[in-house]
Amino acid sequence: MNPSNPPQTAEYGGDEVSAIVLDPGYSTTRAGFAGEDAPKSLISTYYGKYTADGQERLLYGDDIYVNPHPGFSVHNPMGRDGIVEDWDMAEKVWEYSITSRLTTAKPGNPFQNGLNDIPAEELPTEMEVETDEKPLADSPLLMTESAWNPAKAREKTIEIAMEKWGTPAFYLARSGVLAAFASGKASGLVVDIGASNISITPVHDGMILKRGIQHSPLGGDYVSSQIRALFKKNSPQPITVTPHYLVNSKSPVEAGQPPQAKYRTFPADKAPDASWRALLEERTLSEFKECVVQVWPGPNKLSAASPTGAPNEEVARSSPGRPFEFPDGYNQVFGVDRFRVVESLFDAKAAIADPDSPFPAPTQAQTIPELIKASLGGVDVDIRPHLLNNVVVTGGSSLMYGFTDRLNHELQQLYPGPRVRISAPGNTAERRFGSWIGGSILASLGTFHQMWISKKEYEEHGANIVEKRCK
Amino acid sequence: MAAAADVRDMLDLPAEGQSRPSKKQKVVEKRPEGITRELYALLGERAPPIAINENKYKGRPKFMNKLRVRKWCMTPFTNNARSDGLVLNHWQREHESTRPPAPDATQMDVDTTADGEKPEGTSTQEKEYRFAKYNVKARVPRRYTDEEYNRHLKSDDWTREETDYLMDLVAEYDVRWVIIADRYDYQRHLDSEPEANAIVPAKQYRTMEQMKARYYYVAATMLAIEHPPSEMSEAEFALHEQMLKYDPDRERDRKDLAALQLNRTADEVREEAMLLEELKRITSNEQNFITERRELYSRLEVPISVGNTTMYQTSQGLHQLLQTLLQADKSKKRRSILGPEAVAPSPAGQTPTQTTAPGRAETPSTTAAPKETTKKGSAAPQPQPSLRTLTPAEETRYGVQHHERLTGGVQFRSDRAQKLTQAKSNVQTQKLASALAELEIPVRLFMPTERVCKDFEKLIQSVNLLLDARKVAEKVESEIRVLEAAKAERERKEAPESTDKDPEHREVKKEADEAGNSMLSSTAADAPAAASSTALPTDGESAQEKTREASADASAAVPEEQPAKEDGNHKRSASVLSNASDKSFKRQRR
Repeated sequence: MNPSNPPQTAEYGGDEVSAIVLDPGYSTTRAGFAGEDAPKSLISTYYGKYTADGQERLLYGDDIYVNPHPGFSVHNPMGRDGIVEDWDMAEKVWEYSITSRLTTAKPGNPFQNGLNDIPAEELPTEMEVETDEKPLADSPLLMTESAWNPAKAREKTIEIAMEKWGTPAFYLARSGVLAAFASGKASGLVVDIGASNISITPVHDGMILKRGIQHSPLGGDYVSSQIRALFKKNSPQPITVTPHYLVNSKSPVEAGQPPQAKYRTFPADKAPDASWRALLEERTLSEFKECVVQVWPGPNKLSAASPTGAPNEEVARSSPGRPFEFPDGYNQVFGVDRFRVVESLFDAKAAIADPDSPFPAPTQAQTIPELIKASLGGVDVDIRPHLLNNVVVTGGSSLMYGFTDRLNHELQQLYPGPRVRISAPGNTAERRFGSWIGGSILASLGTFHQMWISKKEYEEHGANIVEKRCK
Repeated sequence: MAAAADVRDMLDLPAEGQSRPSKKQKVVEKRPEGITRELYALLGERAPPIAINENKYKGRPKFMNKLRVRKWCMTPFTNNARSDGLVLNHWQREHESTRPPAPDATQMDVDTTADGEKPEGTSTQEKEYRFAKYNVKARVPRRYTDEEYNRHLKSDDWTREETDYLMDLVAEYDVRWVIIADRYDYQRHLDSEPEANAIVPAKQYRTMEQMKARYYYVAATMLAIEHPPSEMSEAEFALHEQMLKYDPDRERDRKDLAALQLNRTADEVREEAMLLEELKRITSNEQNFITERRELYSRLEVPISVGNTTMYQTSQGLHQLLQTLLQADKSKKRRSILGPEAVAPSPAGQTPTQTTAPGRAETPSTTAAPKETTKKGSAAPQPQPSLRTLTPAEETRYGVQHHERLTGGVQFRSDRAQKLTQAKSNVQTQKLASALAELEIPVRLFMPTERVCKDFEKLIQSVNLLLDARKVAEKVESEIRVLEAAKAERERKEAPESTDKDPEHREVKKEADEAGNSMLSSTAADAPAAASSTALPTDGESAQEKTREASADASAAVPEEQPAKEDGNHKRSASVLSNASDKSFKRQRR
């Protein structure tokens, strides 16, 4: 094929209008240009706050991980249920995700752009957006939202996009629908395992079925809390997670031996906030999740017996353990415990009890099989087999080893009749950015451009138009 | 080099010494870049072929260097599917016709800035946005007027407002019922109904079937208002009928069944799968059986050839036959013929049947004839002398047979059966054949198994007996007729002088009676023999009956009645065989 020829419209219905796709999540915010295969800008949704020289400073993106400023605290503008709580900060974080990588600052007047000033003081690290220059003046914006986003939040979102960012056209799409699009389906049952939430969204012809939407807080953060509970009860000794920034040096120790490390200490007035430590501990825990944690692949629950008769726990115990070394040098081989920490996503009784955990003990109705059952119960019986045949697994936490196998077994046990087929991209990026990729596809389709809410329409009908147009 | 020149000098060859150095030079020139000269020299003259990858920018293919770079430009466009005239920008290949190629860079810059307005004016107005044509909406019926609603569409269950709401939803979601039913959320206007405020109205939950029923009713009515059913086109009428016939109850039942089907337990699913598998197996078995049967029949129905079989009666000849058949089979790509059941019928097509009779004249009569087996069977008893004695049941199952005497060579059972149908005289043979035809038994047996052959043999015997009996009966009958005629003649003569002729008359009558009696008794004796040969349990009784009848006939001594009785007698004896043969006898009599 001659690359200088444009692709035929018949083979690819794309027409790119340099739209920007913004997919805000609880843990990360993804932004990038439509038509690309991965978001260019991936930042943490957490933002950092500290006070320097009597002035409040904010840090975004990767900057929040680097410097332990005195009293540095991190916050998240999103609520645990995926709905924005702090709109001012959410706007700033989202804007940062767009402006830091995607839109460059317009060359301003060289007398005023700061480049020719004598640096009297250190310039603030965050991007200063000039008030008169709207960051999105020439890019349509496609944003994603959770399926249970209330109308007020949706109106607020379009208000920000239109009035603060000055986008010429805007659209708000459901992340479930987009995840289905990303795997090439207009209909399907989207199982999204995120950081703060797991959600089941039935999608039919590119529309969510509201009565089938189910979500519960047993996401990646819940798994982290289970890991912490496991560490507390660890048998040779309880494990404390020490983030990297607190370790000055360490020497190797035998497995299970107490760590030998020199720790960094902060004086009380210089120490960063506990939330920052929690954030960095979370990074170690996600490493633990990536390397060690494993979902019992089935066929039955971990506590039940396998089809051959032997208890699954015994089978799991006999499989070789996985070693993990913590930042302070402590290392241990994790055997059957590595299955236990995620078992409660499928079996509420298997949850590791921890009174200090911010997560209440899960109920059986919050587990994934029950959610799917409830979700399918809410949709018409005629499309249930079709939905089961098109189960789309997305979300970063679904990358836990063995997750799709287990889900497949659970679904086949729940519905032995219809054919269950799970489509989970093997590519890590496609799984993590499923809804962003779907948005990227959608916003670059020629047929989609009639769906945008234009600035003119917004001005005519007000923020309420989002309810009418983005169904 | 000098030595070579000397040799050339000595041999008076022309000084062609340049060729070699030039060749060497060439090799050196070819040295790839990734290898040093010293190293390359070590390789000698005939270097092995090595590929040295160079990390080099590949660049454009050569043919493309000649192409002119065509320009793309960011073009604003509007979408006709939109009502607000939103202008978006996309990259478009610049149309060559619209602008002449820009001569230099500065000019191009100017052009691009001018781009903004020019194509907007030309391209957007001239050609439509190419994706606008996909903006299609589902066809929904025309909205009713107040009058139409009041006259045709009033319903106890549905208010006007709710119907409006439903129609709006249907139009909004393009008649996608799954979504309509999902989003259906009709709130009654409480302020319009003050009494509803007192009691919180139970949230009315509409099922998809209710919505569909209402919508189809409205749509069908609107269609009928627009075109009365008599004026509708065929498609419209079909649609109208379909919409009118919508039955929400049946649909609900169907969905209940679908839900049951969906929520089967694993055991039920397994059972169903097993049953389906079983069904599949049975049908495929049946299919196999039918095809095998058909194949067998087609082989049996091969026209009887009239060649000589003597060449196949030696083992060599047989081997040859087998080879040719194998060859034929291979060429036909069919199943192997080596299966035991395939060997027997296939030569039958080629074995002559008619001409074997003289060749086997010396074979013993049917009763004494040794039972032949298939080629395998005849060989089996010989080499394995009583490894294990078989019970009679097993013997029948495996088809083991014992023979007093075996004739040499190969014989076909069907041939032997065939021979039975050949009588001594041609007429008799024809009669036999017609009797068999009457019984609907083919002259050539399908499946000439041993039992079939035995029965066939018995049948032929009884048919022969019958034929004999009939012959005798006919003879007697004709004699009676002659005698009757004589008697009639005499009576006519004696009519005038009847007084003294009486005793003579009586004497003659007695004579005739005696003759008839003896003959009849002979037929009667024949008939039971025929009957007993068929070996049916009821035969004895019927035979007795016949003898009784025959004697009665004889004693009755009424010549006029004789034919009728004779007929009855024939009937009885024929009934031993079958009704079909009975009919044949009647016909033959006539």
